[in-house]
Amino acid sequence: MPSLQNTFQVVSQQKLCPKFYRLCIDAPVICQTVKPGQFVHIKVNDQLFPFFRRPFSVYRAQKYVEIFYEVVGPGTAVMARMKKGDPVDVIGPIGRPFSMPDKKIKKIVMVAGGIGVAPFLIFCDALRKKHSDLELILLYGGRSQGHVYDMKEFKRHGCQVHVATNDGSVGKKGYVSGFFPKINIDRKDTFIYTCGPNPMMAAVQTWARKYGVAGEAVCEEVMACALGACLGCSIKTRSGYKTVCYDGPVFDLQEPIF
Amino acid sequence: MKIAVKIADVIFKNPLTVASGTFGHAEKYYDFEEVKKLGAIVPKTVTFHPQQGNPPQRIMETPSGMLNAIGIENPGIDGFIQNKLPAFKKIGVPLIISILGHTDDQFLQIVEKLNQQKGISALELNLSCPNLKHKILVAQDPKATYRVVSKVKKISRFPVMAKLAPNVTDITEIALAAETAGADGISLINTFAAMAIDIETRRSVLGNFTGGLSGPAIRPAAVYFVHQVAKKVKVPIIAMGGIMTAHDALEFIIAGATMVAVGTANFVNPRAPLEVLQGIEEYLRAHKIKDIKELIGSLE
Ligand SMILES: Cc1cc2nc3c(=O)[nH]c(=O)nc-3n(C[C@H](O)[C@H](O)[C@H](O)COP(=O)(O)OP(=O)(O)OC[C@H]3O[C@@H](n4cnc5c(N)ncnc54)[C@H](O)[C@@H]3O)c2cc1C
Ligand SMILES: Cc1cc2nc3c(=O)[nH]c(=O)nc-3n(C[C@H](O)[C@H](O)[C@H](O)COP(=O)(O)O)c2cc1C
Ligand code: FES
Repeated sequence: MPSLQNTFQVVSQQKLCPKFYRLCIDAPVICQTVKPGQFVHIKVNDQLFPFFRRPFSVYRAQKYVEIFYEVVGPGTAVMARMKKGDPVDVIGPIGRPFSMPDKKIKKIVMVAGGIGVAPFLIFCDALRKKHSDLELILLYGGRSQGHVYDMKEFKRHGCQVHVATNDGSVGKKGYVSGFFPKINIDRKDTFIYTCGPNPMMAAVQTWARKYGVAGEAVCEEVMACALGACLGCSIKTRSGYKTVCYDGPVFDLQEPIF
Repeated sequence: MKIAVKIADVIFKNPLTVASGTFGHAEKYYDFEEVKKLGAIVPKTVTFHPQQGNPPQRIMETPSGMLNAIGIENPGIDGFIQNKLPAFKKIGVPLIISILGHTDDQFLQIVEKLNQQKGISALELNLSCPNLKHKILVAQDPKATYRVVSKVKKISRFPVMAKLAPNVTDITEIALAAETAGADGISLINTFAAMAIDIETRRSVLGNFTGGLSGPAIRPAAVYFVHQVAKKVKVPIIAMGGIMTAHDALEFIIAGATMVAVGTANFVNPRAPLEVLQGIEEYLRAHKIKDIKELIGSLE
């Protein structure tokens, strides 16, 4: 019923590294309206299985809407088989976007775990348009080298990219939180954004709280409607249960209880 | 071609409505012009006090359906009247307000508050939510069903529907109790009590431990419930349970439903209610049926 639901065409499908794919969809209405941090809700086929739609951050919105995703189960496995010209039923853009940093902010630190990097490229695109002198830092943690790709689009924005893998196969060995001691953050000029597994975002919360630095977190929960109707995607926050799809997915960093 | 239907003295311009708990935030996401085409809207169940709902995880997908254990998260009757009702009224579609009291008294207090409101067409008593840790549901006990419905009927300014649960031995016994107590209609069915287990952690997947099963998976069972009840009671039935398409809705109408509600399908296809409505109209046209009443309960 919402005018937000449309059928578009797949433009391309690309495997960027062993674990991650990029799907481009020709969806001009979404490109024109989407804000960084927002997501789309995709029906991966017209069958009863998988039954629910699947939510994905918008990775980039230039000529096409780009989805950056990892195959983790049946829904994403179907997505990985989509080809150029296939129709795809998309609801979006939906959700609360990132807030743009105010003038005093000089340094943006993005902490991403695995596929949690997805919302940050469109965000860097938007930041660079407005503030060419912002310092951009991306701390990225992947499970293993299969979860690491070149991230050249980030680097092209002058973003400093630091990579860690759990097994040390690429970059620093260990969790992404291993970078925290080396990064200077200051409440006066730094803002932190994070997206990834809950334990990682909990570590970011603690780090930011220690220095009194503000930030935002992109949260995840299983979704049915993604329109705030079913109240199914609620997470615990400091002000009670909040829906990820309607109140989020972007929350104040200290708000969610991970 | 006539597709208007009547329950008590309320006329609905068509038989299509949405199931409680599956339609919300109309103001933000839905195209008003499209929502206006619905025969009625049933908002999420309202309780006397605000309820924060159950801990996550609240939903999961299942073969052709889903489990939910939302726990009637809602702002309470005062919050609803103040903050939600005005937006629903603005849509201009008849409203059937779903209510739930944890005691008879709470049911009555809610009704008294709603009695003072304009722009409401009917009440639906949710006697059947499986997610609230009550040992036994009102709708599992004919005596309790009779008691609650008759108490509400005594004071309600609006027609009253009783929403029943499928987790019973004999649904007709409960439906008859509601009818005898004066219910103007029967809504069925609510979700089936159900659960799923994470085999790695050996814990229940849902935060509430158990949940309710809905969606196409339950449809054939729901059709059978409606058929049984339609044979026994005279009051109209609002039917629901897995309706995704016009075909599904027509099964219920032929089984004896006066109205049909789209529930879980809203989550997968927000346009489902209107597509179902359109499909029903096409069917009537194709079969040269002049009035939908000819179709209701026409099972051979
Ligand atoms: C706002 C939001 C943005 C997201 N953005 C991206 C993205 O840009 N790229 C990406 O690869 N993934 C993203 N996800 C996660 C993605 O939705 C899930 O990976 C996907 O739904 C899994 O579907 P599946 O059938 O392949 O796997 P399933 O078998 O359904 O699930 C595999 C795993 O994913 C979890 N999961 C299942 N469904 C959901 C869901 N609806 N939401 C969250 N987690 C789920 C399950 O708990 C399980 O651990 C996002 C999720 C949310 C809520
Ligand atoms: C997420 C969700 C929330 C629901 N909330 C309510 C509710 O608040 N009150 C109620 O009477 N029924 C509620 N129901 C039950 C539906 O109204 C309906 O009776 C049931 O889901 C069967 O129809 P369906 O298969 O078309 O969804 C809910 C169902 C779902 C899936
Ligand atoms: S997914 Fe339905 S409220 Fe968020």
